[in-house]
Parts: sequence; C-alpha cells; structure tokens
Amino acid sequence: MMSSDTSSLLVIVPAYNEAGAVDGVVESVRGVLPGVRIIVIDDGSWDDTARVAEQGGADVFRLPHHLGLGGAVQTGYRYAFEHDYERVVRVDGDGQHDPADIKKLLKAMDEGDYDMVSGSRFLAPNGYPTRTMRRFGSLIFSWILWPILGKRMTDPTSGFVAVSRRALEAFSGSFPLEYPEIEALVVLKRKALRFSEVPTKMFPRRSGQSTINSWTAAYYMVRVLLGVVVNVIKYESRYHTGTRG
Amino acid sequence: MEQIRVVTIVFCLLLLLQIVRSVRREHIRVEYSMAWFGVAVLLLGLCLSRTALDWLSWALGIHDSSLVLLVVAGLLFLFIFFRSSIQVSGLKDHNIVLAQKIGLLEWELKRQGAVIAQLREQQGREQRPSSSGVEKRAHSL
Repeated sequence: MMSSDTSSLLVIVPAYNEAGAVDGVVESVRGVLPGVRIIVIDDGSWDDTARVAEQGGADVFRLPHHLGLGGAVQTGYRYAFEHDYERVVRVDGDGQHDPADIKKLLKAMDEGDYDMVSGSRFLAPNGYPTRTMRRFGSLIFSWILWPILGKRMTDPTSGFVAVSRRALEAFSGSFPLEYPEIEALVVLKRKALRFSEVPTKMFPRRSGQSTINSWTAAYYMVRVLLGVVVNVIKYESRYHTGTRG
Repeated sequence: MEQIRVVTIVFCLLLLLQIVRSVRREHIRVEYSMAWFGVAVLLLGLCLSRTALDWLSWALGIHDSSLVLLVVAGLLFLFIFFRSSIQVSGLKDHNIVLAQKIGLLEWELKRQGAVIAQLREQQGREQRPSSSGVEKRAHSL
C-alpha cells in the first residue's frame, strides 16, 4: 500500500481539555495530508475542545465522561476497525507531535511490514529538551522491556504511532486504559505482531499540562510495571487473538 | 471471650437487618447482597455455636477463640472485597464500552441529522421555483 493513499487512512487525535492546541494540530495534519479524515476524540473535556476541533474541520467524537487516554484512543481504534480502515495514525492533541513525521511513520510501516511504528524523540537529536525525569523513566522502561519485547524501543512512552489493521484488531479488543503506550507494545508482542520506531521531532506542549508530574510519576512507574507483568501472563482467550506467524 | 461474642452477634444482627433494609429499598441488588448475607449468617452461626467455634480453634491451631472469630471475619471480608473488585472491574469494562458506543452513536446521529437537513434544504430549493411558476401561471389566468 502506498503511503500517499489517504482513503484508507484515519488520523485520530485523543484530546482532554486541549482547546488551546487541538485546532492547530488538526490544521497541521491537514497541511501534511490534505483529504485525510481526522477524528478528534474528546475525552469528556470541560473546556471548548470539541467546538474548537469541529471548527478546525475534524469529526469529533464526544465521550460522555472522562475515560482516560487509553479509553479515548481505543474509541478511535474501534471505529477504524469497524469501518474497515487499513491504517490509523495517532497524534496527541497537545501539539507535541510534528504531523510532518506522519509520512515517515507510514513509510516505515509499509517498508518493514510492521503492525505499529512509533515516533521516538530519543533516536536522533530533535532540539526539544526532554525533562530529565521523563528521559530517565523512558530509559528504565526501555531496559526493562528489552528482554520482553526482544528488541530495544528507545521511546516506549511515545504516543505518536501508526498502526496497521492487524494491530487495530488487537487493540479494539484489548487496550490498556491508563498510560497505554508501554502496555500496548507488550500486547503486540503477545499477539506476535511486529513493531518498530523511527526518529521524530517533538515540540513543547502548545497548551495545558502533562498528566504526569513529579507526584504521579511513582504511581505511573508502579502502575505501568504491573500492567506489563499482567500483559505478559495474560489469559489470552479472553481477547481477540489476531496472531500471525 | 463472652464480650466479643456478644458484640459480634449484635453486629451480625445489625448487618443482617441493614442488608434486608438495603435490598428492600433497592440500594443493593439481591445478587450483591448474597455475599454479605452469607458472611453475616456464618459469623452469627460461629458465635452462637460454641462447638463449631471450638472445632475451628482446634483446626486452625489457635487457642484463643476470640482470635479465631477475628481471623475468620477478616478472611471473609477480604474475600468479599476481592469479589467486589472483580465486579467493579467488570462494570468498569462495560462502562467503557458503553461510553465509547455513546460517543460513536451521538456522532453518527449528528451526521445523519446534517445529511437530512441538507436533503430537506435541497428539496425545498427544488420545490420553490416550481411553486413560483404555478403562482405566475395563476396570475396570468
């Protein structure tokens, strides 16, 4: 499949109280991929996120209450899977990802026949100073996940990803609710799906604040580690299998 | 020992009363009240039957009967809390799916509403020239 084909491509933008940034994200994606369908999943925001995104020209799914990032992302994945999209790109609504890199993700996915390609801010210098704690956390997870995933992912917490239909099938059945990125990699590994990463740029947030601060960082580490362990030992038959050789 | 037995009996009776009241007022569903009902009856039975309590003391190797009562109550409550966590997790899973479906359905309704409005507007535009044509013909007559 060619990377330029946008009819079977869906861009999803999970957003929670991102009224200050989401229109810019939609506009930037539109600039890179004119004609591509963009869906903003408003995860129960109490600000103007939905209205701003609609004015920006995106379709907006409004969740009746806040589900958490994983719940919002899975809504997009479910929709894409049920409506026969072949590929989905997830771009966060805070404006930190550079939509210009979407083509890079899709190209890598096509060339390597990967089921998920994520953008890494650590593979190449990108000029954006990542917080030391974040860098340290990513490094720890990267090392912990190495033997589980069978390969090193330099930025396992990246939310900038392109996924294939096979991965969509897996994720629409089972997707972590909180801090989903790392567990999603383990889900893919468990289902024998292939993944990789490419260097991408990262910008500072256009507005709002990260959900992870110094107070929640410890909870984040423990919660994600527990999620990884659970995913490694998970009882497979509860979910769609979607495996391939 | 007598004091803790009396306290436990009173507590169990109050618990049973509260369970019945809650079920009657539909504050708790019958299926979720069953575990609490079972715990209250079991503890009450242990308190009322000296033989059962002594046998349990012997079986657990605990000589103090009041401690046995405490251990049994603690284990039963742990079991109920764990069971409740499983039920809450199941409900949360269902809640997520429902919230996602509501989000998708609302969008679909809105989209179809827009399509219908567009069709009506188009229909209206098509009817207007013909009706004005009828008026003109009526005037000319």
